[in-house]
Order: sequence, then structure tokens, then C-alpha cells
Amino acid sequence: MPPNTPPIVSRLHRRHGEKLQQGVIISYTHIAQPYSRTIGLIQLSDGTKVLAPLLGPNPSIGQNVSPRMYLSEVAGSGLRVYNIAYEILVEKAIPHPISPSFPGYILALTGPSGVGKSTISRLLTTMCSDFLVPVPILTTRKPKKGDDGEYRYVSKKTFVKLQKKGEIISFAQIPSSEEKRWYGYCAHDIEHLWTKGMLPVVITEMHLLQGLAGHYGRRSILSLGLLPPGRSKRSMLSHLLHRLRSRGRDSEKSIADRIKNAEADLQFFRERQDLFDRIVVNNNLNAVVDLVQQYTRQQLRDSP
Amino acid sequence: MQKDVFVIGSGQTRFGEWWDKSLHNLMQEAFDAAIDSSPCTALDIDMVIVANMLGELTNNQAHLGALASSLLPHQPPALRVEAACASGSIALHTACAMLESGRAETVAILGAEKMTDCSADEISNALMGAADSERDQPSGLTFPGIFGLIAKRYMHEFGLTRSQLNLVSARHHAHACENPYAQFRNAIAPGDVENSPSVAEPLHVLDCSPVSDGAAACILSTKHKSPVRLAASQIASDSLSITERSSLTSFLATKTAAENAFTEASVTNDDIRCIELHDCFSIAALINLEDLGFSEAGRGIEWYIEENPLITINGSGGLKACGHPVAATGIKQVNDIARKLMESKERFGLAQNFGGACATCGIHILEYAA
Amino acid sequence: MYLPRYRIKTEEIARAWKRDPKNAVQSLGIREKTAPGPHEDSFTMAFEAGRQAIDTAKIQSSEISALFVGSESHPYAVKPTSGMLAAALAIHPFSHCADLEFACKAGTAGMQIVDSFVRSGQIHYGLAIGTDTAQAKPGDPLEYTAAAGAAAVILGRDKAKGALCRIDETLSFTTDTPDFWRANGQPFPSHAGRFTGEPGYFAHVRETLKGILTMKKCMPADIDHLVLHMPNAKFPQKIAKEFGFTPKQLQQGFIVPTIGNTYSACALIGLTHVLQKAKKNEIILLVSYGSGAGSDAFLMTMLRDGIPLSPPQSPQYLSYSEYRQQIPTSL
Repeated sequence: MPPNTPPIVSRLHRRHGEKLQQGVIISYTHIAQPYSRTIGLIQLSDGTKVLAPLLGPNPSIGQNVSPRMYLSEVAGSGLRVYNIAYEILVEKAIPHPISPSFPGYILALTGPSGVGKSTISRLLTTMCSDFLVPVPILTTRKPKKGDDGEYRYVSKKTFVKLQKKGEIISFAQIPSSEEKRWYGYCAHDIEHLWTKGMLPVVITEMHLLQGLAGHYGRRSILSLGLLPPGRSKRSMLSHLLHRLRSRGRDSEKSIADRIKNAEADLQFFRERQDLFDRIVVNNNLNAVVDLVQQYTRQQLRDSP
Repeated sequence: MQKDVFVIGSGQTRFGEWWDKSLHNLMQEAFDAAIDSSPCTALDIDMVIVANMLGELTNNQAHLGALASSLLPHQPPALRVEAACASGSIALHTACAMLESGRAETVAILGAEKMTDCSADEISNALMGAADSERDQPSGLTFPGIFGLIAKRYMHEFGLTRSQLNLVSARHHAHACENPYAQFRNAIAPGDVENSPSVAEPLHVLDCSPVSDGAAACILSTKHKSPVRLAASQIASDSLSITERSSLTSFLATKTAAENAFTEASVTNDDIRCIELHDCFSIAALINLEDLGFSEAGRGIEWYIEENPLITINGSGGLKACGHPVAATGIKQVNDIARKLMESKERFGLAQNFGGACATCGIHILEYAA
Repeated sequence: MYLPRYRIKTEEIARAWKRDPKNAVQSLGIREKTAPGPHEDSFTMAFEAGRQAIDTAKIQSSEISALFVGSESHPYAVKPTSGMLAAALAIHPFSHCADLEFACKAGTAGMQIVDSFVRSGQIHYGLAIGTDTAQAKPGDPLEYTAAAGAAAVILGRDKAKGALCRIDETLSFTTDTPDFWRANGQPFPSHAGRFTGEPGYFAHVRETLKGILTMKKCMPADIDHLVLHMPNAKFPQKIAKEFGFTPKQLQQGFIVPTIGNTYSACALIGLTHVLQKAKKNEIILLVSYGSGAGSDAFLMTMLRDGIPLSPPQSPQYLSYSEYRQQIPTSL
């Protein structure tokens, strides 16, 4: 065991929260000495992997497991060291919406405002309309000039009602200096596409993406991050600024908000690399659309 | 390589349990053997590079560069490098950088490890330092456990059977019978492997390299020539923790280092006639052959089912039978390839050394030209 | 609630001590009891029970701002289990927390404290947990009954959405009675044999039962479910009969025959069983008992039909030697 001094144990205990998720066994081993135990490599529902003790009889690769609080050891000083172990569930696997052609995937394009997500999404869904369909974002904000069918507008009251009924599976409040606006995705909008054998495409941002990954599982998301061209953060932001202005859709104040959010988005790409399968720089629209098409077809072909 | 770097001397102690020998004694013995085999004297050495992983933990001895320097009468500049079990190859790589830059013309590289001064539990614990202290260790996993997980997954993905895996250690032991420096010079039957006690299922005691004391030394020079030169020296890295890998059955660091080494030496797999690969556990030998490009994924075992008479793999007995004093291994591998090329007069040989679950991989390609 | 997956049968323990297995089962009324796993303790079990409570209450853990945990086997003599639970369950950082000990009634004492925090308006939601890995000296009669388990209840305003059951009245009775104790540093408790009966359990439960029924002008017949502390099967059955309660009223919460005495969790686990089965408007009376001694009583009304919890793990039976090796001989 690693040294078990109070600060080390404290840091270990603080990380328990991240590990309290359902998971799947990737591999496991029984260790004989100095005392018999089983350790597994578990993939959690958010896509991260952990090494942890495995509890329960007859483990096998691919089994579902559930987190359990576990007393690992009592140090010589008497300090108790706890860990999260995973217990083999004996009931059936977590149900996953299965359709004949697509096993419940979502193509998610994430990136700061102005990077070109909507444009790319529109091109993709037009060119691949046989299997790619855009999913509208529910929003409480008013329709604006320049909006192009990406949103479904609802009143705040309706949004809250849908939330309470559990129909909104990912939502976020994206603040702006003008008003508090809610955004979200409706489970039905995504799931009914699966029953039709289609792949939903969502244009999204960091909070909504996390919500989707949390609800459907990280592995269900074919996640692409879109970056503006530019080597440094400053040059990326200036590219975005240029695009937002030439787009002509937003007021100066709104643009200022979007740039501020963009900084947070870029930070998010760095910190949460685990939520993205590929990061793509959007400096040539056609090249990016080709790349996304290729990538999507390949992922679906290779999926288990 | 930016300059011709020649292997002008090599030496090692026998690997095993040396209760009477300290780190100092082992390093002295290996160094003396290397100098004796070279056209130089100790005074020709411009710099000493030491490879060692566990000195602080086993003997409360850090600062091994200084200790090694004192083995030579003129006390040349010295330093120590560490990359867990890859310490040996990265010491050689560091030496190459010093030689290619002209900071030194003749460098002695010493890898040494003293593992028997501690209890088995203490060593087991110390070896886990090769993995991630925060992510891997708290689970209660041991180092054999990491490869147990890897082996189990490999068997799941490729259908490798326990009987097939037995062939690996059996072959390595057979080779070691001819190696006077090997820790174990006894042949074992394939069945013995799975009948030995279980360590980390599916791995048994005879699937695992032993705890060994030993040292190996190599002298590289741009000034003195020899028929054996380093055609490539490459190191590559991968995530420390296996929780961050996308595959358990293939090591990116080996693939990267190999690709770069083949490019550097302008050779392909077909040119290689002898290989010393890093079989810390039997399963690693199979994965290594695949990552090095000698086999397709899942088919590494074919090399052990039928021995290829043209290409020698782990002629020394590998880590399993020759022994694995952690940091000495990378250097001993290069020594063995150099010696094999001199004997067989074949042109190219390859040594692959890695640390942890291949979070660092060091590959050297040697060329013999009469 | 949380119960370890391991069980040991009364017959198995009796056979190990060369006593008549059938006699042992009959005199105690207990067939088997739970035993903690090698990596479980009062904290790990309390955590699992707390997590289940938060999941079933459908509230965010950060809405909870009080946590009181009662046990006779807190993992540390000094280092609060409540602090460890507060962090692990991610309740609100500004929370009222403390550890309690009052033999087997520490869990219900916690419930009373959280109840008063809610009533005074200081908190919206609070957690009360009883948890124990009870120990008994090998060969002592307590070995047949000392079990392990945890139960957690979340209390909030009765107007809170999803409220399951309302606490109408609570009463406690306390004396100084040396029926059962464990000195500092001792691994196993000592008990006073037959003195634990009438002067201990019966006197206190009787007083408290009488007290609460009188206070609320209730008759035993008005009660739909009676949950009592269960040190064995006979004691609660006897006191219930004395008051004219029928076996049917005792039934849902009478968990001791297959679980054993989970000490601070005992009455609360009984309550958890009742809460899963009881119907709207039914009245529940809970009376716990802690040696030393004291009793807590609660009169409750169901606000809606009970909800079942997820089914437990399938039990794994131990031999006596496995059992002795597995449980720690000291805290």
C-alpha cells in the first residue's frame, strides 16, 4: 500500500465522490499474497476507468458492477483507510435503448459560440439525411433574428413542467447579461430517432454535454469538440470575435457575453478531455464536414 | 544517431541472491568486467551514468552517481537516472546524448539493483512505485496484479490459453541453461509453470521474473571504435496508470519507440536477427513481439509454439530466467545483443526495455560491421 | 438500510460450542443473524444505508444539513463517524453533526435530535442513522444474537414533497441501570444475565409504552404496526402480549429471527421494514431500548403507502470458524 499519512488518506477520501458510479468490468485478477483479494479494472458510466477491489462471486469481463464503501486497511497509527470497491450486480444489465441499426449513440458537436457548429451540423444533416438528424435544443429564450431551426421555444413554465416529469434529460442555465435562459434536451426527441434507426446530432456546450454523458453514459456519445483556428488562446478568441461580428446575428453586448463563455469553453476542452473523442479545428468547412462524416461512419461500423 | 557510438566494453555480475554483496560491490564487479573487456582503462572514462530504481527504499542510498564515480580513480562527473524497470535503457539513451553532443567521448553506464536486503512485502510495495501512487496503489493491486489484469484481458480478446502461455517461460529457461550469468540455469517443463503457486490470476510464480541482485555495465565511445555500434537509441512514454490507456493488450510506448528506432537505424523487422525483449511477465513477451511488429495482434504466441531458428528471442533467458535486477536489465540486454552479434556475425539486433506497465520504453538497435 | 451479505445460523454456533442446536434456536427464537464482511465496519454500512435513504427520498444530498449517527461500535474512539459520513454522502458542508452512544437506542436518539432540528426550523432535511457491528465474546450467549447492520431515516417538514410518514409524538424515559456495559479498552461487553430482563428491558419499555399511549390517549388496538427493540425474539413478544398487542401488529417489524440484534440499528431496521409495507393513514408505534438504560418512543402516521426498497443481496452462509476469522475481535 502507498504511505498512509493523514494528508495522503485525506486526499484519497476526497476523491470517493467521483467513483460512486455504476460500471463495467474490463478486466480483473485474483491476488494470492499476502492475503487473498480480487482487483478489477472498471469502466465507469462517465467513461473514466478505475482500479478497485471487486466484491461478489464469479466475476467476468463485461459484468455490471455497483459502488460500495470499503474498509481497505487500518494503518499502524490506527487511521482507517476507506476506498470505493465495486460489487457484482446479479440482476440484469442496465437497459440501453437498442434500435436495429444504431445502438443508442448521439453525435455531439461542442464548441464556443461562433466556431461554426450550426453550420457544420446543417451541412452534415443535409448531406447525410439518411441517417443523421438534428435534435432541437429546448430553450426558454425568445426567438431571435438569425435563429435557424436549432431551437424549440417553450415558456419557462413548460420547461419546468417537463423537467419535473423527468422528460428533460440534460439542462443548463446559460447566463447572459440580458436574461436568465434555460436550455435542455428532451429525452423523447433523442430516443424516438433511435427507434427509427437514425443517429441524433446535437449542437451543444459543456454543461449540456456533461448532462448527456451523465444520462446516457459517456460511451453513447460520439463527442467532437470544435476549436476555432489559432495557435494561442488569444488568437482563437480573436477568430471567434471576427466570426461572430461578421455573422451579424448578435448585438455587441451579446457578443461580449459569448466571448466570455468561449474562454470558459476553451478551458473546458483542456480540463475535460475525457468527454471528447476528437478535437477538430474548424479552419476549412468542407474538410471538417468530410472528417466528421468519416469519423461517424467509422465509429458506427466499429461499435461492438 | 548523430555520431557513431560504439559499444567498446561490457560486463555484468551473475544475477541472483547476493547476500554478501552491496550495491557498491555489485557496481564495482560489473564495471571492472566492462573495463577489462574494453581497449580502455578506467582513466579513459569521461562520465559515469548510473541506472537504479530502488536505492533509496532498499538501502537508504540516493546519490548513486557520486557512489559510482568513486569507483574510478579520477572520479569523473556522474549522474543517476530512473524510469523504473526502463532505467537501464534510458541511461544508455542519456549516454548517447552526452556522446552525440560532444560533452563526453567515452561514457560508462552502470545499472545496479539490490533487492534482497528487504522483505518480500517491502519489495512488492516498492515495485508498485512503478505505477501510479494515487490512482493504482490504493486499490491493493501489486505489480504482478497489473500484469494479471493484462493477461486476463489478453486471453479474453485473443483466446490465448493457459497451456500456450506456459511455453514462454519454458523457452526462456531453456535458453538460460547456456548463460553463465543467469540466475536460473535449470530447464522447466511447460506444465511446471501452471503448477507453480498462483500469484495474480492467471499468472503463476513461474510466469513472473524474480527478485534479483545484480549489476551490468556498458562502455560507449565515439573516440574508441569497435565492430558493434548503436544504430538507434529511442525512448517513448505513455500514461503511468493503466486506467488511462485505451488498450490493455498493446503498449503505445513500445510501438512509438520501435517505429522511431527502425526509422533511425534505417532498418525493418526483417533485418533483425536477435532480440532481447522485456519479459517482466510471460504475457509481456507476447505483447512485446506484437508491438515491435514481429507479430500481428494476438499472434505473438506463434514464436513460442515453434522456435524460429533464424531469429533468437531472449537468448540470455530474458528477465524470467536470467533475472531482473530492475535497473541493470536494460544495460544487460544491450550487452547480450552486442555479444550475440559478435559471435554470430549477424548484422542487426534489437533490445527492448520498459518500465512499469510500459509507461516508458527504451529501444536500442545495434549493428555489427566486421 | 444496509445488511451485510454474510449470515451464520444459530445451529452452527450451537454445534461449535457443543450445545443442542434445536434447543438454542427454540429458546432464542432466532434462526440466523448477519455478520459483517472483512472490509465492512459501522461507517461503511452507515454510508450504504444513508445513500439508499437519499436515493429513495429523491432529494439532493446537499439539501441535508444535519447528520446524527448512533452506534456502540463507532470505528474510532475519537474521530467522529458523523464527519466521515457527512463528507462521503456529500451533505451540505454547513451541517450539524455529532456521534451518539446510548447502547441500542443511539439510532432512535439521533432520530429525536434530527426531529427537533426540523421542528425548530433550523434545517430542511436531516439524517439519523443507527449502525453497529456488534461484538460478543466467543461462547457467551450474546454470540447468538449480536449482529451487524445499519438503517437511516431522512426527516423533513411533513409538508415536504414525497413525505412518507409523520412523527406525531416522541417520548423518552431514562434511568441509571447497570444491565449491560463495555469498559474502555475492552473488546467485548459484559451483561448482567437475568438482570437485563425485568429491571432492564421490560421496566423501561413498559414505562415508555404506557407513557406515550397515555399522552396521546391511545389504545393498543389503535396501533397498526408495533416496532420494538429486539435483543432476542422472546422479550418483545412478551411485552407486546402484556399490553394486549397481537402478533399481527408486531409482524412487519419483527425482523430479529433472521437478522439478529443489530443493536443501534435494530429498532430502525424494524421500522424500515414496516415503512415499506404500511399503508396510508396507518399508525406506527416504535419503542426502542438502550441498556444503561433508556427507551425512546415514537408515534407516527403514514402519509402515503409505503415504497419497497431494492431487494437485498443473496445471503452467503458462514461456518463458525469462517465467522470467527472474518469478524474483527476488537473494534
